[in-house]
Order: sequence, then C-alpha cells, then structure tokens
Amino acid sequence: MPAAPASFLDRALLARISDLALLARTVVDGFMHGQHRSMRRGSSTDFAQHRAYQPGDDLRRIDWRLLGRTDRFYMKEFEADTNASVMFALDSSASMDYGSKGVTKYDYGRFLIASLAWLSQQQGDRIGLVTFTGDIVDVVPPSARHLQLLLHTLGRAKAEGAGTLSGPAQRLAHMTSRAGILVLVTDCYESPAELGRAVDALRMRGQDLIVFHVVDAAERDFPFTAAATFEDAESKTRVAVRPHDLRKRYLEAARSHHEAVAKRLTASGADYVRVDTDQPLDRALHAYLDRRLARSRVR
Amino acid sequence: MGFLVPAFLAGLAAVIVPIVLHLRHRDKDTPHRFPSLMFVERLPIRTAQRRRITDWPLLLLRALAIVLLVIAFARPLFWKPALVRATAPPRTVVLLLDRSASMGHRAVWVAAQDSVRRVVQSLGAEDRAALVLFDDQAEVAQALTSDKALLLAAVGKATPSAAGTRYAAGLRAARQVATDAHTGTAPVNVVVVSDFQRNGTAGLAGLDLPTSLKVQPVAVSTGPRANASVSVAEARPVGGGARERLAVAATIRSRGVPAGRKMSVMLRLNGRQSGTQLVTAAGEGETRVVFEPVPLPSGLVRGELTIDPDSLAADDTARFTLTSNDAVRVLLVAPDDADRDETLYIERALAVGRSPSVRLERLRTGAIDAKRLEDAALVILWDVAPPSGSAGTALQEWTARGGGVVQVAARRTARRFGSSSLLPATASGLADRSDDRGGSLGDVRLDHPLLAPFRETPAALAAPRFLRHARLEPAHGGEIVARFDDGSAAVVERADGMGHVIVVGVPLDARAGDFPLQPAYLPFVRQLVLYATRRDATPLSREAGESWVIPASAREPVVSTPDGSIVRPPRDRRAASVPLREAGIYVLHDGETRSAPVGELAVNIPAAESDLGVVAPADLLAGVRRNGASVGEADPTPPPIEIERRQGLWRLAIIGLAVLLLIEMMLASRGWRAVANPLQTASSSGERS
Repeated sequence: MPAAPASFLDRALLARISDLALLARTVVDGFMHGQHRSMRRGSSTDFAQHRAYQPGDDLRRIDWRLLGRTDRFYMKEFEADTNASVMFALDSSASMDYGSKGVTKYDYGRFLIASLAWLSQQQGDRIGLVTFTGDIVDVVPPSARHLQLLLHTLGRAKAEGAGTLSGPAQRLAHMTSRAGILVLVTDCYESPAELGRAVDALRMRGQDLIVFHVVDAAERDFPFTAAATFEDAESKTRVAVRPHDLRKRYLEAARSHHEAVAKRLTASGADYVRVDTDQPLDRALHAYLDRRLARSRVR
Repeated sequence: MGFLVPAFLAGLAAVIVPIVLHLRHRDKDTPHRFPSLMFVERLPIRTAQRRRITDWPLLLLRALAIVLLVIAFARPLFWKPALVRATAPPRTVVLLLDRSASMGHRAVWVAAQDSVRRVVQSLGAEDRAALVLFDDQAEVAQALTSDKALLLAAVGKATPSAAGTRYAAGLRAARQVATDAHTGTAPVNVVVVSDFQRNGTAGLAGLDLPTSLKVQPVAVSTGPRANASVSVAEARPVGGGARERLAVAATIRSRGVPAGRKMSVMLRLNGRQSGTQLVTAAGEGETRVVFEPVPLPSGLVRGELTIDPDSLAADDTARFTLTSNDAVRVLLVAPDDADRDETLYIERALAVGRSPSVRLERLRTGAIDAKRLEDAALVILWDVAPPSGSAGTALQEWTARGGGVVQVAARRTARRFGSSSLLPATASGLADRSDDRGGSLGDVRLDHPLLAPFRETPAALAAPRFLRHARLEPAHGGEIVARFDDGSAAVVERADGMGHVIVVGVPLDARAGDFPLQPAYLPFVRQLVLYATRRDATPLSREAGESWVIPASAREPVVSTPDGSIVRPPRDRRAASVPLREAGIYVLHDGETRSAPVGELAVNIPAAESDLGVVAPADLLAGVRRNGASVGEADPTPPPIEIERRQGLWRLAIIGLAVLLLIEMMLASRGWRAVANPLQTASSSGERS
C-alpha cells in the first residue's frame, strides 16, 4: 500500500487548521489519493461466496449455472451494498488535554475522528459520536447526514474532568442497537482489566471495536531531568519527584501497561491501535480502513 | 568598627528565608501538569530527599546577599577610636537641666539628676561640659569645664524651683554657651533633660539655633501624669465694721485623677485652720469649693488653701494675702462756694465699692498740707487749682512718692490752672456745646488702663452728653487718654515720679452734662481712683517668675523672701521691684525687717506648671529656625557621622551587589525551572504551560 504524502498528514500542519471539516477533507483526500478504489461503485457486483439456499431467500440470487451443474440450489453472495454504522467515542477526560509537542492528545484524537468520519461519510456510512469522561457528555446519533453535526460537536468539545471507560461503555452498549463499528479514542489510563471489561461490554452487542490508544511523546519517553512537582491532570494529585531517578522505572511501568492493555483488548476481540501524537495520522487511517474493509465482507 | 544603626542587625535573622525557600521551593513551585501520575504513584519515592538542600552554592550566595544587605542598612562605621580622639576636637556638651516646678513631681527630679550625672560620667577626659539650669529663665550653674567633680557638684546642688517652664530660655543660654566656647563648626551637643511639659514650648517658634548645635532630648518622664492642683478663686471681705468676714472660694483642677476621688480642702488664715471641705474631684476639669465666710482677722491676712498631697506637692497649696483694712483715703478738695449737690454724685460714687473701700475726706481750698497728705492715697481737686507755695511743693513731693492727683477742670478752673507744672494739661477756656445738643467722648484709648472697664462696652462712653466742658491741651508730658468729639482733650494723664496726675475735662457733676446719670459714671470714677492710687493691680497672689513692684509708701523697702533671705530692691526712677522666684509669702518692711510689715504678697507656682501634659521630645524643635551660621572658627576634622556619610558610595555598592544577587536568585530559579520543565506543553484551549 503506497504511503500518503506526508504534508497531508503532518500533525503540525493539521494543528493550524481550525475547521475540522476542512481538516478531515484534507487528510482523507490526501490519504486516499491513488491508493484506494471506490468502495461504493463496485460494492454490489463483486462476488463473495456461495451458500446453501434457505427457504425465504431471494430467488433472484440463486446461482442458476451452479444449479444446472449440481442440481442444487446455491445462493450467490456479493460484497455488501448496505452502509455500516460507525460510532466514534472520544475520551474527553482531562488527561487527554496534554501535549508536549504542540498538539495535545485531545486535538490529535479530534483530528483522527474528523478524518475517519469524513472518510466514512464518503463511503456512505452512518456516523455518530460520543464524547465521555466519567459519563457520556455529548451524543450525536449515527446518521448518514450527521457529518456536520458531528464535526460541530467535535469542535466545541473540551477535555476536562476525571474519566473512566467502564461507566460510559455500559451506556454506549445500550445506545448502539445495530451492530456496527465503534471507534474508541482514548489514552487508556485505566487498568487493563477495567479496560477489558469495558470492551467486553461493547463487544457483547456485536460491535466491531477499534481502540486508538493515543500517547504523547512525553508520556512515552518521560524526558524530564530535574526535580519538580508533578500534578495529575485529572485527580490534581501532586507528587514531588526526581525524574532522573524515576525514568527507567517509569518507562518500564508504562511499557508494561501498554502491553497489558494491548493484550487484554486484543483478547476481547478489539483492534488495538496505538497512535503517537508525534506521528502522522496515516497509520491510524490504515488501521481503520483495514477494519472497515473486513467489516464490509458479507458474512 | 561599629554600626550607626545596629538595630538593623536584627535583620540577619532573615538568612533563614533562603534556607526555608530552598527546602520548600519545589512545593511552592508551579506544579508540572502531567496527564496521569498512575505510573509515578506506583513508584517508591524517598521523601527525605525533599528535605535536603541540593544546591549549596546557590543557597550560600543568597544568604550572603541578605547578610550584606543587612550590614549595609546597619551603616557600618569603620574607625579607630584612638585615632579619632587624637584628631577630633574634644566634645563640647551643654547640659540643660529643667528645674521648673513640674520637675518636682515624684521621682522625676531624681531621675533628671541621674540622667545628667550619666552624661557627665560618659564624658572623655578632654571633653568639656557646662550645666545650665532653666525654668522660665536660664542660669549657668557651671561654666564649661572638664572637671567632672565640679559638674557633679553643681548637679547635686540644683533643686526644682517654683517657676514655670520656657525651653526657649534654656536653648538661648545653651546657644550663648556654645558661642562662647568657640568650637568652630564642630557640633556642640545640647542635652536637654526635662519632663518636656507642653506648656513650656512657648517662645520656641522663631528661635534661631545654629546647625552645629545638636540638641539631644532626654525625657525623664514618660506617659501621662495625674495631678490635682488648687488655686484661689475668690477671697473678699463681706459685711462691714467689726463683723467683717472673709468669703473664700477655691478651684481644684484635676488632670488624669481617678473620677470620684475624695479629697479634703483646708483653709488656713494666718496659720490657723479656718475651714475644711471634703469634695469629690472631677477626673478631668475643675471643681469649685466655697467655704463659709469666716471672721476676718485685722491687718495683713495670710491665707492658705491646701488639698491632699499628691505626686506634685508644689501646687497642692495656694496662698493669698489681703489687708483687712485696705480703705483708700481720698481727699476731696472742693471750692468754698461749692454746695453739697455739686459733689453729690462724686461722693456717692466714691462711697460705692469694696476692696478697696474709699474713705473720703472733704477739704476746703488751702487745707492741703504735708501732714494731711501723709496717709492719703488720692487728692481730688474739684474745680480748684492746685495749691501753690509750700502746700504745692508738698503735693508735688507727695505725688512723686506715689500719691495720686485728679484735677477736675470745670467752669471755675477752666482758665486758671494753666501755669501749674504739676498738671499734665492746660485749660484754654470752656467749650459750650449746648448748640449742638451737647458734646460727647469721641476718641478714647481703650488700651489705657484707666479705661480698661470699658474695653468690652466702648459704647457706654459715647452715651454721656456734655453741655459745657473745659478745653484741655496736653502739657508737661501729658498723655491724652480720651478726647471729646470736637477733638479737644477730655482726659490727660502723666506719671509723675511714682504717682499719677490726671486732668479730667469731662464734667463729673450733673449741671454741665448727664454723665453722672449714665451707667458709665460709676465704673469710670471707680477706675479713676484705683488707677490714680495704683491699687488696680493688687491681686490676691502672684505667680513665681513675676516681679513685685514695691508700693511707693515704702521709703526704704526691705523684702524678706519665703526662704528667709533679705532683699533690698534697688529703686530706679519709677519704682522698686523684687523678682518673685519662690512660692510662699514675700513680706515687705520699711527700713528694717524688725519693723512691722507694711505689705505682704503671696506667690504660687504658675498654674501652667500643674498641667503635666508633655510634648514629644522630637517635636521640641519643630518651630526652631536652624541656620548655618557657625559658632566660631572652622574645624577641619569632620565628626564621625560626617566621615560615615562620605563613605556612602561603598554602601551604595553593597546595595547594588545585593540587587545583583537578588537578580541572580531569580535567574537561578528560572534556570532551575527550565530544567524541570524541558518540554513546552500545550492544552486543547490553546494555552501553553
């Protein structure tokens, strides 16, 4: 798969675009340039597989040639011609409002969702949005006409307060009655077990789940050297630390946590994608498209 | 080495500040916001490290900055005392010791003497000092000397006086002593030891003091002092004849005395207790105490009012004197053709009034002789010319000794006494004012003692109308006291020796005008008698610091003072006087002290001394003008303070260093934070932290 031009995905460029719609169009157009076929145009003519006839099936989809060769009724299945329902869930807790390289995790998450929503809109999908902290904050119900509303809601969303996934996940599972794709953008500051339980609750409804784990470079590398008082963005807890003494153990703890989260989410059937805010958006977009293509296969 | 302001060294305690800041700085610092401390909180952190100073050089630098700053403010003075003593001139100190009556307050005087003694003991061997005692006057008790023994002896001899306080007198004396010392521009220290009574500051405004005179106040009394004093409000004979009684009233002034305090007031007459009153004194203010009239002793009477003693005993006794038989003998010389009606009003007016009462004796023309004048106080020449010949000579001599003469000029004498040298005016005829409905007094000198009763009601003198009056012209040094509305003199007066001669052109009978029928007549005649006989200024008592003008009746006055000493006052052209420096009874004898007293005068301390309110010593010189005039020759060696002032640049340098160190502290702090926060973080709202 050819790489997208870097200029369209660079986070520094994106940070200067305040209009999320323009941003998303810029990202998607740049990303899709020359690398992806139109899914809408051939989606209903591409053969997928055969299956045995069941009473009530549409007689028009019986493979008459195979009936003549085998004297049995087989139904032809094609690429799906119905739109998927894509629900985006954005973690709006205060921990997301942090960025050591100019772009905060929250901004990065919004860019990502806006781009994915634009992309989904191009595919004819129904798109919706949920922002959450400790509870659901904003909800945009899935609809093929809700792109602007989604972008507007996304644009005025703010990251503040303490957040957890378990509570919102329960409510979100009840809100999505149709199986679809749930895109979760979070920084995963919860124990892997808690995250796993939340993902399990979402997966119970048959949702395909993609978890984008947004990580800032400072969280990843912990580059601090001199002693300082650190304040937790959500709990406001202050701890005086000497980073030089702690870095090694911090990095070890962070790495362990990330691995545990990835393992637990994968075990729950979710697609875990870690995105670093100092990296372009293309990796996230690729992950999404891969998942979208897999979802578009007719079962 | 020393410090001019060592109190600032207490600021060295501020060294603890950077230490505490170093230990606590991280907690005080702006916290570094981080998404989550989930991983950090799991890690063990040794909190002991937070209590450890991690940057010793920076801490020491900051502490040193504070130390330098404190030292700079303390104004260090580097000098070698021996060197300074060798080059600097000896100090000149003027000790001003307040000895006013208020210094007699309990323990104040002892403290004042001790303060002066301490200053004397601190003097160097080459230093000179003078002791000046002052109350309302100043006295150099000890001239400039290096002999401490002399100074201490003078201090020991000093005692509080009964006089008031005037700092101006003391400072003038100190200025004179400094001038006589010829110290050049070297400062002369004036140490003022006083209770700094507020009432003593009169006269300070406008006083000139050279800048080389360094005044150092030493307050020996701090805080308010309670005091009660007594004064004589009234002492007057009542009744008459053999049953004459004395009515006495006292005024008690309380300042800071507990309200409701009971105190007794005792009245003594000639040493015998004559009454006691128990009163409740007001905390602040006056209480009037009236005694029942008591029999008045004959002759000279000494009275004394005493209250319970308090901290200031000098004002707990008020003395007064009076004479039981103080009648003024007045000789009324009337013309032979004058009937009783003509002098009816003047005689009736003279008969009114007491203290003194008037004993009138009517004489015919030519009846005046030296014998009759001997015990007379006043001669009224009622429209008769002054006698000539021996009688005239006797009258002139008697007048020179203090007798009073009133010449009433009317229709008989308007043209006949012009040549008499006794009188201060000549008459040029009689003015007939009947055409313009009578004349009146037009221009009167209310500042003259003769017209003092009319200062509040000058219109009273304009009411009388005069149909005819003599035309007077001043002569022989006469002074016009009042004029008629046509400009001619109405009353002319001249002091003749010890006595007064007054020519009255104002008609005093009812035939030439209506003056006797006007309200102004009685006080005019009364004041005429008092002024001419010099009885108008005889109070019950005087205050210490004043002078006693000896009555002219004493030919060889000898005054015994309250402390028993004898004073023979020199008599100048006009009068003899005795300075009243002590509280008590001054007794006047004529010739020798063994003779019977001819007069007595009670002296009390000034009432202002009883008010013990103080002025801040620093405000003492508020109204004093300081000029740059030097006291004598110039001195090339500056005083230590001047030496220190010339070293001001290094002080500024230290302050500048301190400022630099402060800046360094800030820079160091910013650098520390920069290391602590190497990343520029951002939030979704656009703000960078």
